[in-house]
Amino acid sequence: MKNLIKLSIFAFILLAGTAHATVQTIKVEVNGMVCAFCAQGIEKKLRAMPQTKDVYVNLKHKVVAVELKDGQTVSFDVVKDLVKDAGYEVSHIETINQPVQEVKASMPKD
Amino acid sequence: MKNLFLMWCKLLLIMASTLPFSALAGPMGFKDSWMSMGDFSPNWREAFVNYAVTPRDAWGMSQTYMRSDDKNLTRDLTEVTYTRLLHRWNAKNSQANLWFIGGLGVVQAHDETLDQGLHQGHGFSETRAIASPGVQFDYETTRVYFATTARLYRAQGTAQKINHDYGSVRAGFSFYEAEYEQTQPWFIVEARRMHALSDKTEITPMLRLINKNYFVEAGVNNSRQARFNFMYIF
Repeated sequence: MKNLIKLSIFAFILLAGTAHATVQTIKVEVNGMVCAFCAQGIEKKLRAMPQTKDVYVNLKHKVVAVELKDGQTVSFDVVKDLVKDAGYEVSHIETINQPVQEVKASMPKD
Repeated sequence: MKNLFLMWCKLLLIMASTLPFSALAGPMGFKDSWMSMGDFSPNWREAFVNYAVTPRDAWGMSQTYMRSDDKNLTRDLTEVTYTRLLHRWNAKNSQANLWFIGGLGVVQAHDETLDQGLHQGHGFSETRAIASPGVQFDYETTRVYFATTARLYRAQGTAQKINHDYGSVRAGFSFYEAEYEQTQPWFIVEARRMHALSDKTEITPMLRLINKNYFVEAGVNNSRQARFNFMYIF
């Protein structure tokens, strides 16, 4: 019985870890993003993508994170073009395996 | 402190919602967006709406009412507008923009000063074509703001040429940095002049509230007249 419980816990941790690893978030650093009213265009453009699950914008650190729905992908060029249409420039872009909420929690508060 | 500003924000939003749509401004929004703007004071009321066809070009309509300090001259402008982002400088912690703002339309001019003495009963009133090309430069970080605008308002008239060239300078600072979802309060001072409408420079200190959904300003100018501006993108 004990072995069964241990095995179940191990399987749960493994599955949870696997599920986390499949989270695809595109993290973008954006130049010129200094005003919430003006930056709303970035959020609206990115939220309008059918692949988008959630969007996070941090004005202080000039970061935008787009969490994608399970199994969805978006090319960097598409994201860069949408940010450009909103009037800004991408200075850095990468894919990370963190949900938006974790990106938000990891941002320095100062 | 933040709660007080949030209360201000809610109050101004309620005020904005009670205004007619004709109370709208801002040069332009992002591609495929509608931008609306309003600038309201007793002597200057401007409503403006445009649509961004590209990230740099927007077409729209504006309605402007101008009145001289002595209330004898009034101008009603209806224009088709074109806004062009001539250049944008996106730096890591700042943004600067150079805009062209232009309008072509009609002005209905009325001059009560010709309604006196021998001219009594003959107040000058006519409708003419008007052009209003201008440029604006602005610079902004999350803590400071600066903008300057120069715009010509010119029309040929039978009784007189109309020249109400306009110039303004704005500068201000935010009280603190805010998160994207929060409302950020700013203190802004604007100085502006309007040729042949006022002999003095209008100075207006304003409280500006910026949120991701709206932008409002309210203040009282050096003639003790209330001023209210807002912008909305949809």
